Amino acid sequence: MHRWLRAEGRGAVEESLHSLAALFPRGLFDDALPPLVLRHQLYSLVPARTAVDQHLNSMKEEGLVRLFQLGFDTDAFGVVFTEDYKAKVVEAVAGKESEALVRRFLDSVLTPCADISYDTVRMMQDFGFRDADITQLVGAGVLTVRDAGSWWLAVPGAGRFMKAFLRGRKAVLALIQKARYREVLLAELQSRRPPRAVRLGLPYHIHDLIGAQLVRCIPSTSGTLLRLADT
Amino acid sequence: MWISWVLSLELNKDRDVERIHGSGINTLDIEPVEGRYMLSGGSDGVVILYDLENFSKKPCYTCKAVCSVGRSHPDVHRFSVETVQWYPHDTGMFTSSSFDKTLKIWDTNTLQPADIFNFEGTVYSHHMSPIATKHCLIAVGTKSPKVHLCDLKSGSCSHILQGHRQEVLAVSWSPRYEHVLATASADSRVKLWDVRRASGCLFTLDQHNGEKSKASSEAANTAHNGRVNGLCFTSDGLHLLTVGTDDRMRLWNSSTGENTLVNYGKVCNTSRKGIKFAISRGCNPEFAFVPYDSNIAVYTIYSGELITMLRGHYSTVDCCVFQSDFQELYSGSKDCTILAWVPALREPVPEEDNEKSLPLQSLNPAYEDAWSSSDDEG
Repeated sequence: MHRWLRAEGRGAVEESLHSLAALFPRGLFDDALPPLVLRHQLYSLVPARTAVDQHLNSMKEEGLVRLFQLGFDTDAFGVVFTEDYKAKVVEAVAGKESEALVRRFLDSVLTPCADISYDTVRMMQDFGFRDADITQLVGAGVLTVRDAGSWWLAVPGAGRFMKAFLRGRKAVLALIQKARYREVLLAELQSRRPPRAVRLGLPYHIHDLIGAQLVRCIPSTSGTLLRLADT
Repeated sequence: MWISWVLSLELNKDRDVERIHGSGINTLDIEPVEGRYMLSGGSDGVVILYDLENFSKKPCYTCKAVCSVGRSHPDVHRFSVETVQWYPHDTGMFTSSSFDKTLKIWDTNTLQPADIFNFEGTVYSHHMSPIATKHCLIAVGTKSPKVHLCDLKSGSCSHILQGHRQEVLAVSWSPRYEHVLATASADSRVKLWDVRRASGCLFTLDQHNGEKSKASSEAANTAHNGRVNGLCFTSDGLHLLTVGTDDRMRLWNSSTGENTLVNYGKVCNTSRKGIKFAISRGCNPEFAFVPYDSNIAVYTIYSGELITMLRGHYSTVDCCVFQSDFQELYSGSKDCTILAWVPALREPVPEEDNEKSLPLQSLNPAYEDAWSSSDDEG
């Protein structure tokens, strides 16, 4: 299990991002997805939330990472290294007829513009895409419909990840719920066999629960205790 | 010097507030002139006035109630009192507003209402500007989306601020500009108004700072993703803290309306009415005291760090108020008690610099008392 970093600063955020990305099970989705980390997982490794947000924003402005709106919570953002994202998208469309269009999208839209979503005005006027092009991009999985005339930037094939993630999170929470006094020692949780619904690995979900404040970390004489948050 | 005092706030066994309320306490206010008298308003409609000063020579004392508007008073509020506030310039007058759709202006000495304002909907919150010299307006937030401004001088209530779409849960005047008012509503919006202007609000706070890409389209121009039920300006009036039922607390720059994006984490908020939280004054850095179930969470405002949780109440905490002269916190809760949180006294640090202090008297053995109190040795 990873050391609990108490350091701050840009270096700590980058290091945490790399170690969390390493936890992502590439082989599970036939290696079709880039390593996806949730922004709130970083808070479990680097506790200074405001500083993490600021460093992540500067990394986003520099083009090192991209943020994605995942859909299950307005506050939950997915973080992917830009290089990984581009590589996987290109792999996904290789050989299909939308390949040239997607490459053009990656070069002309993704690189200069660090946003999470795009609307019709920008796509058609600033970048010169037509309706048919946008439909093809949605088909390729690079854009997801947000509402009439705007789209979220998306990771192709992320639906499978979301399903596995939400099921796994529910399973780990149920595990802690059934425990006596709704709390469990961190060390004991890590040594347990993960239930079948947990396909992304227990450490990934533990970081998620701590960062999202769904459980509270209470230091005790036998180690860290994870107690289910009250509400 | 003041920083460590707030960090060492704890429940003091020597200080007590007399327990009179028979039901939960919704609001507290300490008068700004001397910081000596405190008002409390309860769910039973009762308003009580306490004297916080310690005139007994003992360290252990109870803050006694001086007088009260109890259930037997002919003009007592019929339903729960949601907000009480002292008149900002002297203790001769105070105001209280209640779920019985009235705002009453009381004369402290006679305990009679000098004026009563009636509204169409329940009153959630009211506030009078602490620094105003050019006006005597009381801003009132009710179940109706319109914000009412009641004039104390003329007794009229005709000035209305339109803009919100649902009930107004909290109102607060800026401590820096006497004409600027902030209002928070169940429609997820927080608006800042200049009451001198006839046109609409100055601006509406947007949690995404205008970045249309971050939110879904319905969430445009909202301060929170849920009802906004708490508002507090920092003591210099430059920043505004808001809490909402999306379990978030946000810090805003009050002159530009920009979200400073300080991340406080999850600030649990399940209240259907307003939450009254407090910000410290007179110390640096500033702290926010936010009721969190039956505890009080203490955050550093500008860094977003949770410093500690003050535990002591048995039920939901509804309000907090900070006494800046002694750096103490008073909190009222549904368990019908008001608790006082007093900075724990530190051990006096031994003086490093001995030149100015008197040299310790070392007793010459010749003068040492040879008398022993024990009979055995004698």
